[in-house]
Amino acid sequence: MLSIIKLKSRIIIWLCTGIILFIFLVGAGKKTSITQQLDAPENPIYLEFKIPAGWPKPPANIYANNRLTEQGFQLGKKLFYDGRLSKDGHFPCASCHQQFAAFANYDHDFSHGFKDAFTTRNAPALFNLAWMTKLHWDGGINHIEVQPLGPLTSVIEMAETLDSVLYKLKKDSVYPKLFKAAFGTTEINSQRMLKAIAQFTGSIISANSKYDKVQRGEAKFTLSEENGFALFKTKCAPCHKEPLFTDNSFRNNGLSVNPFLKDYGRQRITNDKNDSLKFKVPSLRNIMLTFPYMHDGRLYSLSAVIDHYRSGLITTQPTLDPLLVNRIPISNNEKNELLYFLNTLTDTSMTKAARFAQ
Amino acid sequence: MITKLLILPLFFAVTFTGNKQQNSMAAADHSGTLKITFINTVKGEPIQLNTGNYTNPFAEVYSISKFKYYISDVTLSSSGINFRQQESYHLIDENNSASLSFSFSLTTNTYQSISFLLGVDSIKNVSGAQTGDLDPLNDMFWTWNSGYIMAKMEGKSLQSKVVNNKVEFHIGGFSGTHNVLKKLQFNFSANQILQIKKDGLSEIIIQADFDTWWQNPNDIRIAETPICSVPGALAKKIADNYSNMFTIKNVINH
Repeated sequence: MLSIIKLKSRIIIWLCTGIILFIFLVGAGKKTSITQQLDAPENPIYLEFKIPAGWPKPPANIYANNRLTEQGFQLGKKLFYDGRLSKDGHFPCASCHQQFAAFANYDHDFSHGFKDAFTTRNAPALFNLAWMTKLHWDGGINHIEVQPLGPLTSVIEMAETLDSVLYKLKKDSVYPKLFKAAFGTTEINSQRMLKAIAQFTGSIISANSKYDKVQRGEAKFTLSEENGFALFKTKCAPCHKEPLFTDNSFRNNGLSVNPFLKDYGRQRITNDKNDSLKFKVPSLRNIMLTFPYMHDGRLYSLSAVIDHYRSGLITTQPTLDPLLVNRIPISNNEKNELLYFLNTLTDTSMTKAARFAQ
Repeated sequence: MITKLLILPLFFAVTFTGNKQQNSMAAADHSGTLKITFINTVKGEPIQLNTGNYTNPFAEVYSISKFKYYISDVTLSSSGINFRQQESYHLIDENNSASLSFSFSLTTNTYQSISFLLGVDSIKNVSGAQTGDLDPLNDMFWTWNSGYIMAKMEGKSLQSKVVNNKVEFHIGGFSGTHNVLKKLQFNFSANQILQIKKDGLSEIIIQADFDTWWQNPNDIRIAETPICSVPGALAKKIADNYSNMFTIKNVINH
């Protein structure tokens, strides 16, 4: 009697084991096929890099060896917003480059980095980068793809190592699939990571401000804006050249040397005394959103910037830009009109675009 | 799974075919293999990283913890015709024995000279993110002033008054007056005959002697300049010195 019960229970156990095993195998089989589907090479969706109407061609094609695809763009966007690119997880690219601030760092002269460190320069806005042959305030970076290496490895910014970032991406469950979608295989290396980030950052185009709409005949300036535009063309445009609102040159605009930073700008890159105190001319597009201003963010309002050019700038520095030796004469009324015009350079279709948002 | 198994060999086949085309020096039917091996030395003796104590011409004692440099655009010349290795970028790193040799296929011929660039050409310095030997992971790419470090030595010396008695020569600069690129050519001597035979293996052994970095033509004293970490005049002086560091030690036709 006892043995029959034992036998029965054994049969039940075997049956149960068999059923569980069967379910497990079927389940596993299904799982495999799902994984395979995700791993299967996806068809790249190629994107066209569109040059806004009337704009010059970029000086070099930043995507010549990095063909734009939707998959590459999306991977780059994910990386841009991923804190794991920084040592303690707190500092994604986006921590200093905020979309609502035209990808500058809103209301920060310097940005925060690893262990409460401050950066030593004001985080620049990110847009229309394809027209910029040299990046950073001192132009030290010669290609959009290699730019992230700077902040990523800087001990006062993201404070990471390339090795460690790649390790984190490789062990992640999603990234290998995204790299495969973008580049054909699951391999994750620094080149692919940097190319993907460049696909995102280089795609951020700002060309739809009120100014642009006026140029296209879709809107009209007010009288004050119109007057401001006329003033802008004579007083500011030699450096802040349309349509990019920068000529991408490096100039000394007569700021005193910050005694803490002793930052001599481009001279550090070129080792040339003639480049002392020269910094990149920033674009004035989205200028209302990118305060504070100047390479060290020392001026908190556009009013203060205009005051600098009309009365504040130091005219005794030997490398002062020749266009500024007499400062820029601007009356109070002209200043107001200039401000009205500069307001028309804000492009909310870029700063609010879901495509660039996290 | 089966698809994966099928894709893998296909992937390798494609990869290797790609490589063969890149090394377009060699016509597939008439080629052998050339192996180039670097032996890094100080005064003729193989470098002992970290443990070796060396004395420079100014009686300054130092040790070496890192010694690495780029060799690129390797070109063999036969009767005035150049056979150039395509995508030829090699990081020679004393700390990585696998990096001390590289091989490629070469058209059957007798060659009289070899030339290469010590460094990475300017185009690659401005062309964005690279991979392989040019990957910034190799710690030979400047992140704040884009460009490759062409050659790097790190070590210590009591004559260095900087933190931890560091000695660091990071030599780079690819444009204008900062250009440290050195195109070097070596003619094989009468007893060094490089004959690439069909399916054969030949080897060139090149010695790189670090002792050359200190002088000829420029005196570099640790006490004065223990650190060089930016392009400029000092980097150029050291590069002028190290352009003399190579000697063709041996050519072997196996």
